[in-house]
Amino acid sequence: MRAILFLCISLWSFSFFCQNKEVLYDFTDLPQSLMLNPGAEINFKFHTGVPFLSQIHINAGLRGASIYDIFADDGRDINEKIEITLNNLTSNDYLTVTQQLELVNFGWRSKRNDRIYFSGGIYQELDAIGYFPKDFAVLAYQGNQDFLNQPFRFSDVSGSGELLMVYHFGYNKRVNKKLTFGARAKLYSSLLHIRSARNKGVFTTIETPQGSNFYQHVISNADVTIRTSGIQSLREIEGETTSEEVKEAVNKLIGRALLGGNLGVGLDIGFTHKIDDQLSVTGSVNDLGLIYYTKDVETYRAQGNYVFEGFETPIQFSGEEAQDFLDELEEAIPLDTLSNSYIVARPLKINGSFKYSFNPDDGSCNCFLEGERLRYLDAVGIQLFSQFRPKRPQYAASLFYHKKWLSFLRTKFTYTIDDYSFYNFGFLLSTHIDKINFYISANNLLEYTNLAKARGASLQFGFNVIM
Amino acid sequence: MKIKNRYLLLCSIVLSILFTSCVKDVDFDQVEDVVLTPVLELDFIYSRFDTDQFIEPGIDSSIIIPEVAINDTLNYDLLGTDFVVDNLEQVELTFEFSNTIERDFTFSFGFLNDVGVRIGPSYTIIANAGMGPGTEPIITNEIIILDNATINVLSEATKLVSSIRVFNINSGLEGVLELKSKGTYFINYDL
Repeated sequence: MRAILFLCISLWSFSFFCQNKEVLYDFTDLPQSLMLNPGAEINFKFHTGVPFLSQIHINAGLRGASIYDIFADDGRDINEKIEITLNNLTSNDYLTVTQQLELVNFGWRSKRNDRIYFSGGIYQELDAIGYFPKDFAVLAYQGNQDFLNQPFRFSDVSGSGELLMVYHFGYNKRVNKKLTFGARAKLYSSLLHIRSARNKGVFTTIETPQGSNFYQHVISNADVTIRTSGIQSLREIEGETTSEEVKEAVNKLIGRALLGGNLGVGLDIGFTHKIDDQLSVTGSVNDLGLIYYTKDVETYRAQGNYVFEGFETPIQFSGEEAQDFLDELEEAIPLDTLSNSYIVARPLKINGSFKYSFNPDDGSCNCFLEGERLRYLDAVGIQLFSQFRPKRPQYAASLFYHKKWLSFLRTKFTYTIDDYSFYNFGFLLSTHIDKINFYISANNLLEYTNLAKARGASLQFGFNVIM
Repeated sequence: MKIKNRYLLLCSIVLSILFTSCVKDVDFDQVEDVVLTPVLELDFIYSRFDTDQFIEPGIDSSIIIPEVAINDTLNYDLLGTDFVVDNLEQVELTFEFSNTIERDFTFSFGFLNDVGVRIGPSYTIIANAGMGPGTEPIITNEIIILDNATINVLSEATKLVSSIRVFNINSGLEGVLELKSKGTYFINYDL
């Protein structure tokens, strides 16, 4: 019981995710647009992010419910609110958190060929998603009495979380007037990883009027796996609170960040195609790659079938040992701890956009930076985003309006429909003073005055030096 | 200078938006009021007796045996975990006997600790006599409630002892006695 509860709460609370940066995508005034589309059409000669401050990104999303649904200070009993929320949520609802921090980001235009722009850097990422384990939450909260003959599905237990460092280097080339193409190679070093997905099997309490007892409690075709890497060795240190032990844990994590973790490779590719002066199409695929987990790996797997219909007693002595319920269960569904290596694909992200630029500059607006060639002050368009997740892909679609006000001030507004809400308005503000650029963007602005009611929120900001 | 002023204005607008964003109208202290009250149904014990388990079929039917008992002991420690002791409010044990044997049966059960000493109350149920083979079985239902105090006493239990007794039987008796039972566990778990 406690284990089920712990599982539900931990999956529900540690689970994190979505990486849609709809406001930043194709905002080519910022070098960070190259991280979303390595084939973005940028016009810089050189850029460098202010170390540790070039991009701070936080995104949290909760599909199906908000904090307010449960913790509203409205005088109602919290248990009643939990029950209502529990009934509304499905196992396709989830909680996600993504956090990224750019440590270094730099780029320069090739001296040999000014059509080519190189960029590279290092960023840290925490990304996690936990699906709501509806069936087991119901079992923990309401029990099986009202759910006889209904299966509780182990496939409801699904989630993943990872902390990693990414080292990347990208190439961006303006192939001709119409096409810009780019690619970015990535080297991942994973510090911590946990994942449980594609679990199988059901637990059912079946009424058996013709059977030996009132019910049969059946666990059928159970196959539940939790993979971890980087966690076992830290758990050994856990519990020790001496500064030496803490230092050891920190050193271990730093070592993993410096390419000492589980390594993987990946690729981003993207393009910008200008249909004519005013119309353009872009597309990108990010994190097409995998990580090979070989170090500090521990996988827990339970498989089997079990039927319980009570203890057969009193019976005449049959010569057999007395039954022991828990021993029998452990024998039927053994929990194996394995240390086999495993491979997991990175969550693939796909972006695309269609943009129409208008309102050409007649020269009266001092709206362009040196080297910029496009002379339109406004643009509108549509963007699409998808990300692969353990259960199914997530999607988002946005309408945007991009406005250049003055040479030092540009903004972008977005309206997005995604899994969380139909009323997601986003805003980006980018300023250039001398060569220093500051930008900030956020979405779900309508909910911003009370984040408790928000289903999701995303914030990113940073400083760059751009020439 | 003008530009710098604008920049300052912008920054202050952005910062003020950031700082006005907040989480309000919520009370996280409510988490202390969260109570989980699942009701779990779990099979308890079952058994099935034919008359030949009490008396050899070959024995002369005029011989009356005054009492026959079947006693059994079983490992049982489901009430022993800390979680159960702290959070199990009540257990309802539901018994159903269905009998076609023309005798009453006396069923009793109780619990032992790990040194074999009986703890907690003993429970006895009389299963009513049936009307012979081929007739509709006579059903006897009984519910035994273990309250929180009893559950606390039984937390030391490691064995379940049970017995079934029947009086004045002979080899002419025929029929079947079936026992089914389940526990309904009422949990009250404060987070």
